[in-house]
Amino acid sequence: MKSFIIKRLLFGVVVLFFVILVTFIITRVVPSDPAQKWVGARATAEQLEQATIELGLDKPVYIQFGKYIEDIFRGNLGKSLRSRQPVIEELKTYLPPTIELVIISTIAAIFIGIPLGVASAIKKDKLLDHFSRFTSIGAVSLPVFWVALFLQLIFYSSLKILPLGGQLGIKTELIYQVPDITGFLIFDCLISANWPVLKDALLHMVLPGITIALYPIGLVARMTRSALLEILNEEYIVAAKSYGLPNRLVVWRYAVKNSLGPTITVVTLAIGYSLVNTFLIEAIYSWPGIGSYIAISVTSLDYPAIMGVTIFSTIAYVVLNLIADIVIALDPRVRL
Amino acid sequence: MSNLKTKGSRKTLTLIFLTLISIFLLSGCNNNGSNDVDTSELPTIAFYAYDSEPVLDWDPSVGTSNEIIIYHNVYETLTRFNSETGDIEPLIAESYKVSEDGMEWVFNIRKDMKFHDGTDVNAEAVKFSIDRTMERNMGAAYIWGAVQEIIVVDEYSVKFILMYPSPIDIISSSSYGAFIMSPDAVTNNDEEWFSQGNEAGSGPYIVDSAKMGEEVVLKKFDEYWGGWNEQFYDKVIIRKVSEVSSRRQLVESGEAQITTYLPAEDIEAMRKKDNITIITSDSFTNAAIHLNTEVEPLNDVRVRQALSYAFPYEDVIKYAAGNYGVQSKGVIPAGIIGYSEDLPQYKFDLDKAQVLLDEAGISEDGFTLSYNYSSGDEIQKKTGELYKAELKKLNIELEIRGMPWDSYFEMAKATNPEDRQDMFAMNWWPENALPSSWFYNLYHSQDEIYWNLSYWSDPIFDELTDAADELSTSDRELAEEKYIEANKLVIEEAPSIFIYDSIKVYATSKEFKGLKANPAYEGVIFFNECYPEN
Amino acid sequence: MSYNNLIVNTIRPRIRELKISLHLLNRNYLTRFALLIVGLLVAIALLAPLIVPYPEQIMNENNPEEKLMAPSAEHLFGTDELGRDIFSRVLYGTRISMRTALLAVGLAIIIGVPLGAIAGASGGIVDELLMRFTDLFLSFPPLLLAITIAAFMGPNLTNAMIAIAITWWPWYARLMRGQAVSIKERPFVKAAEAIGTPHIKIVFMHIIPNCISPIIVQASMDIGGVILTIASLSFLGLGAQPPLPEWGLMISTSRTYFMNAWWYSVFPGLFIFMTVLVFNLLGDGLREVLDPKTRKL
Repeated sequence: MKSFIIKRLLFGVVVLFFVILVTFIITRVVPSDPAQKWVGARATAEQLEQATIELGLDKPVYIQFGKYIEDIFRGNLGKSLRSRQPVIEELKTYLPPTIELVIISTIAAIFIGIPLGVASAIKKDKLLDHFSRFTSIGAVSLPVFWVALFLQLIFYSSLKILPLGGQLGIKTELIYQVPDITGFLIFDCLISANWPVLKDALLHMVLPGITIALYPIGLVARMTRSALLEILNEEYIVAAKSYGLPNRLVVWRYAVKNSLGPTITVVTLAIGYSLVNTFLIEAIYSWPGIGSYIAISVTSLDYPAIMGVTIFSTIAYVVLNLIADIVIALDPRVRL
Repeated sequence: MSNLKTKGSRKTLTLIFLTLISIFLLSGCNNNGSNDVDTSELPTIAFYAYDSEPVLDWDPSVGTSNEIIIYHNVYETLTRFNSETGDIEPLIAESYKVSEDGMEWVFNIRKDMKFHDGTDVNAEAVKFSIDRTMERNMGAAYIWGAVQEIIVVDEYSVKFILMYPSPIDIISSSSYGAFIMSPDAVTNNDEEWFSQGNEAGSGPYIVDSAKMGEEVVLKKFDEYWGGWNEQFYDKVIIRKVSEVSSRRQLVESGEAQITTYLPAEDIEAMRKKDNITIITSDSFTNAAIHLNTEVEPLNDVRVRQALSYAFPYEDVIKYAAGNYGVQSKGVIPAGIIGYSEDLPQYKFDLDKAQVLLDEAGISEDGFTLSYNYSSGDEIQKKTGELYKAELKKLNIELEIRGMPWDSYFEMAKATNPEDRQDMFAMNWWPENALPSSWFYNLYHSQDEIYWNLSYWSDPIFDELTDAADELSTSDRELAEEKYIEANKLVIEEAPSIFIYDSIKVYATSKEFKGLKANPAYEGVIFFNECYPEN
Repeated sequence: MSYNNLIVNTIRPRIRELKISLHLLNRNYLTRFALLIVGLLVAIALLAPLIVPYPEQIMNENNPEEKLMAPSAEHLFGTDELGRDIFSRVLYGTRISMRTALLAVGLAIIIGVPLGAIAGASGGIVDELLMRFTDLFLSFPPLLLAITIAAFMGPNLTNAMIAIAITWWPWYARLMRGQAVSIKERPFVKAAEAIGTPHIKIVFMHIIPNCISPIIVQASMDIGGVILTIASLSFLGLGAQPPLPEWGLMISTSRTYFMNAWWYSVFPGLFIFMTVLVFNLLGDGLREVLDPKTRKL
């Protein structure tokens, strides 16, 4: 087990290096002039030349890459070309709101997705199964950016019961002391027992939370269903049934338990998708997270920022995959 | 093994579930708690819903972008352009005079002014600030290109010695690169100090807090030299709200006091609401399409004129700009010298365009042109689509390409003219109210491509504008004559399609008063002039 | 055994197999419904230029006097910011999305299948290297690589398609490798090896043609996801260019008119949803029918 984890970890490092290399090539080989961005659009040729040297852009690309890798080890991801702020600082600011969204969606995936999938598998080809299949496949077929607009239209414009966007209302921000301890707003409110701010924060979380949660719910329900169906076809389940054990017991005690392995794998996969979906909807909800950050960075070709987000997402993705691999490896059926 | 694992995960799940339940219960319990806050003691707040990040760079010597909307409330410049009179008015400088030859300028600094850190605003500070901006040589440092040396004459007067005549009074009023900052604050802190969201200004507002890339909160500077009226805003919040619909809804719901960059459809809808005021003002921003005059067939002036005739000015102004613009008369917008009511305009006329194309010997099969615009700019996009439909009738295919600004700006500067775009959509606004901002940057011959994105070059034009620039401080009338002549030449040669001079629109909540939109400072609201009406 | 007999003997069981599969597909009425709609969408895609009510408003004409009009008998889905008929544009969008999705998946297959087949057929170090390389590509967080490629190559539909293919090919390489590993042990491959057929010829003449059906099944399951990705890239401004009526681009544009014209974002969104949904339902049904583990007669 230990050697397995070490092997996977080593591969993770290779993956990270590869992803950095590929992203670096894509972002740097393309003709664009980072120095221009750095000095501002109306700077003179002389200013531009000075900036090119300052940024080390006059050196060959492989030397720039070496420098970049070296800097990563020092915890330095360079400075954003747009804001001239250290990318690492910007990531620290923008990550917590996104992580909160992803956590909420994961919780929803577990508590809604799994029961939905189980119900579907038990009642295979019955009305409930059709309904549940339709819902779960529907959830993964929805364009999230459209869902975001649609929910705003219904809950803000028509019903006027939920806020439009942002993490907090302007009034809350001014009346109350907004805690900033870890950067995770909801968590900070909880530990500082700041209930009014918490309430407002949760209200603001509803629409983006639902939008982001849809995909993981559908994905998890789908996977749970097919994993469970597979198991329900297996001999020991059929045998258990033929012994006259109650159906409920057979399903929940034996089948669901044994299908948790693949389900957890798909939950980790779903987290990856949630992260990506924030890229598409955060701007719509004025959510100050990494998704709106990458959307701006991409359209302004801010390569240090893009690299920063890529590195973070890849680490998250590699770790999630590692967890999934470990879960699978722990599954007794795999070891047989 | 498998049993253990499941039990463990069940425990975790239960724990998560319980936490969630308790969160909801607790938040429910406090429903009543929030009503206890006494709203009468709240500070008066102006919330400006802005389309993009309020600040990209906190260094006043460097920033050339959105940050001017903050800078102009926090810092001050020597002079300011008055949009109502068209004059340059004193701000930090109480008065100024220029030598006969236009080579020496002396500014007298207002006394009893304080920076936010408590130190005095004086000649030393002025010299320090402008020297610093020139030394950094970033952003808009180029505006001081004529300055050879700045000399402190006495505590409250400062002298600019120039290399060539230049209107330093107007340059001092520039929207960026001309801010005066406290030398104490700058020298006593390290490089990172500004970027942590600090400022060293003397303006009416102080930065209260800032959330990087998202929001800046300003609070009133009690000792501001200009004083405060009875009514004012204690605090100003400037927050990024990138979605158009969100900006509109914030103002309609009364959460935000002011916003801008709305599509005409929204403005029309908002006009009908009682709780909203729509404020329009002239602006120095104009929209044009620059033609690549170095490639076939655009190197033929007849083809360029044909394209100018084929452009549906009325439709574009009406449907793309929503009537918030007037057709340009050449390069310079009204209110700046070089503009004249008598300058000619191209009118939409496809027959005339066809005649010109025939004269130029363009074959029946037509040709394809690329049109690059800044992706996300809805007006430029619609302009392209409307133009495409008209060009189609002349057998010209328009390929519309929305690109991130940086990529297409880079493409425009490709070494080989064939690698560049055929048409470059651009809005230009000046850094100060001088005609050279357009003439020099956009059309003067230059060794390297910079903003002359039609790649057009004409010695007669160069001569005219150079002479006019020299004369602008000594013989204004003659200078104006030459500027107008230069403008006429550009119109005739048609290196660009001059579309419209835009009209700036703000939507504010009803109680927000005192707004004076100033075309020389794009998007800036001078909040100390504004107040809430009870 | 004559050549004819060989054909009959290999094809006949396949036809029977196909018949059973179709029967099973048809039995599940969600899948049947999906199949029906997919057929309809394909027909729309093929016939779009002929059947839309305002074909001239797809690329070359505007009608700004009638901008942002609500749905009516004349304009079923209303009109857009330049007065164009949204119904016509959305229908035409089916053609664009499907064509781009097919091309992207096709390109992914062209890259992935030979690599997978070579890896599987060769085994050893070649297999190890190729598959590790494939795994590396699979380790990219989804969409991020496509976003980066599309942004830096310059935003247009072709580049978006290429970006998608680059992120999608590893799945086909994996699938193909698995197939190749099992097929290379089959007698006819062994026989070809024995008579000295060159390795590369075996891969392209014997292995790949015998694995086509699982590849096609996989491709049909991927179409939905690819259509969604294309729309997402266009929504971010990294795909289709105006005035092309691509669904994601239309929704992106509609954001500006969101408060005045709900129909502008709603209908293209519904079409994306419907198309992706029926492809996913179909894919799901196919998988169930073809996977021996869940297959029940």
